[in-house]
Amino acid sequence: MTTARSSRRWALSAVVALLWPLLLGATTAERELEVRMLEVASGLRCPVCQNLSVAESSSELAQEMRALILDELRAGKSPEEIRAYFVSKYGQWILLSPTARGFGLLVWVLPGLGAVAGLGGAAFALRRWARRGSRFAPAPAGAEDLARVHDLVVADALPARLSAEEAREIEGLRELEFDHRAGKLSDQDYGELRALYEAKAAATLAAAAAERVRAAARAAEEAEAAPAPAPAPARPAPRRWRWAAAAVFLVVFGAAIGFLLPQAVRVREEGGSITGGMLTGSEAPVSAAQPRDLPALLDQGRRAMEAQDLGRALTLFRVALEVDPDQVTARAYLGLVLLRGGHPDRALPEFDRALSREPSFPQALWGKGLALYETPGKTSEAIRTWEALLAQDISGKDRDHVRSLLAQARQRLERETKPAPVAPR
Amino acid sequence: MNWKRLAIVFGLGVPLIAVLAYGFTRDPREIPSPLIGRPAPPFTVQLFDGKELSLADLRGKVVFLNFWASWCPPCRAEARMLEASWKDHQGQDVVFLGINMQDREAAAREFLREFGITYLNGIDAGSRIAIGYGVWGLPETFFIDPDGRITYKHIGGLDGPEVIHAKLDEARQGRLSGREGKGDYRSVQ
Repeated sequence: MTTARSSRRWALSAVVALLWPLLLGATTAERELEVRMLEVASGLRCPVCQNLSVAESSSELAQEMRALILDELRAGKSPEEIRAYFVSKYGQWILLSPTARGFGLLVWVLPGLGAVAGLGGAAFALRRWARRGSRFAPAPAGAEDLARVHDLVVADALPARLSAEEAREIEGLRELEFDHRAGKLSDQDYGELRALYEAKAAATLAAAAAERVRAAARAAEEAEAAPAPAPAPARPAPRRWRWAAAAVFLVVFGAAIGFLLPQAVRVREEGGSITGGMLTGSEAPVSAAQPRDLPALLDQGRRAMEAQDLGRALTLFRVALEVDPDQVTARAYLGLVLLRGGHPDRALPEFDRALSREPSFPQALWGKGLALYETPGKTSEAIRTWEALLAQDISGKDRDHVRSLLAQARQRLERETKPAPVAPR
Repeated sequence: MNWKRLAIVFGLGVPLIAVLAYGFTRDPREIPSPLIGRPAPPFTVQLFDGKELSLADLRGKVVFLNFWASWCPPCRAEARMLEASWKDHQGQDVVFLGINMQDREAAAREFLREFGITYLNGIDAGSRIAIGYGVWGLPETFFIDPDGRITYKHIGGLDGPEVIHAKLDEARQGRLSGREGKGDYRSVQ
């Protein structure tokens, strides 16, 4: 069994190597034309899928549009002329990025206006919050106020002009003193709490005093109706550098988002990181590294297969199929990779898809036979598939190989169809 | 202060809701045609009987140009009515021309046989004619006046022979209808 498997493996590489040159047909000029076609197509919106470009869509109309673009390019039309042609048929709708004129201008201007309005609104709100915050922050207690608090605590009776709040603060301090003297509080706790209470009381006293002054000023103002406003307490000059820093931060943040977001949404392979290799040092995903031209992808895939790097080969052929889902070669090789990886069940549909496009594609027929041969009970189907392959025009060496496979399969079929002498129940 | 806030909420909220209401009630697939009132894009089509027909040959006649496919139910729905309408207008200065697209030839021929269609029909291989007319749904019908100008476009199935009659009349007089007609349609493939 192991020898059969390894000989199959060897044969696989042999067939791949023999048939390969036939598959590389595209010249560089055609490839270049393809690139130019995709450039135009990626700017056009697909009328069927709506959210995909003509380059990305696999719909029939998009394929026909791509063929049309290719023909026009071959005829010497410029990309601009081709775009204009599509606009004349489908209107501005067909352009993925509308021209900055008329109603389309709105799309270009609105995000900028929105950003300006948002930043302005945020700055306005921040300013308001900052001001409100400073209004409620307790003013630092001055030495004078602290001395007053001290006097009031040791005084026998509280003056009547104190407000209820002020009285409560002083009362609290007295109780603290009492508790300390009664031995309920340690010296350290007492010291800390006292400092805290005193500061609070001093602040309350200061605030109350300021309020009294203001009330007096208002009363005087109302009484005299004279334009003599009380001198406003000098506010600290707004710290401009803070606003500058906030603005710089916002701009940097926006730029970072603008850079990283498109990175994150580009096509990437399974397991590829959002930022590619830039931040994480991981290998760049295949699709980003390679130009999306099929022959190169197929070539690399074949080489990866030869080097037993099945994972990479799988990725490359999948990328090739993303570019063109109907690429028969890539489809057949994907099947071969899956088969080699020990998944005949998953390989089979790939071969079938390749064969539905090109019913006599040798690699697909050969691979399908192998996959069927490895599936229990499908030996006769494998034989039929290989017989179909023999009917194709293949090289003598390959023919011999297929014949030996067929002989093997027929032997097995004979063994299978003969009833076992003792059927264990 | 409260009034100010209310005004801001309404000033921003009402236009936003209006934009959303407009957007959500529209058919997002609809692609307004820029072709109405413009010269009909010229083409040459291979007819089912093997002959070739050029639109330029039909100058001086009113052309009823209908894009269809055999797999599209609204196309089937209107097929009999179109044939009946053609019988009504046959012999006048009117030409009915069907353009089959994104279809298999056998299925298309079966469609023509099934509905007994006698007016001219051709195959648009590669959908070049359809792209030239900005087709995005099926069926799609264009009315072309004797000067070769598109006067009306109808997306989806036509309601009845009256519409066809009226629009042929308008085309004969060279009168434009800027508003596109709309019926049940299927997106192209």
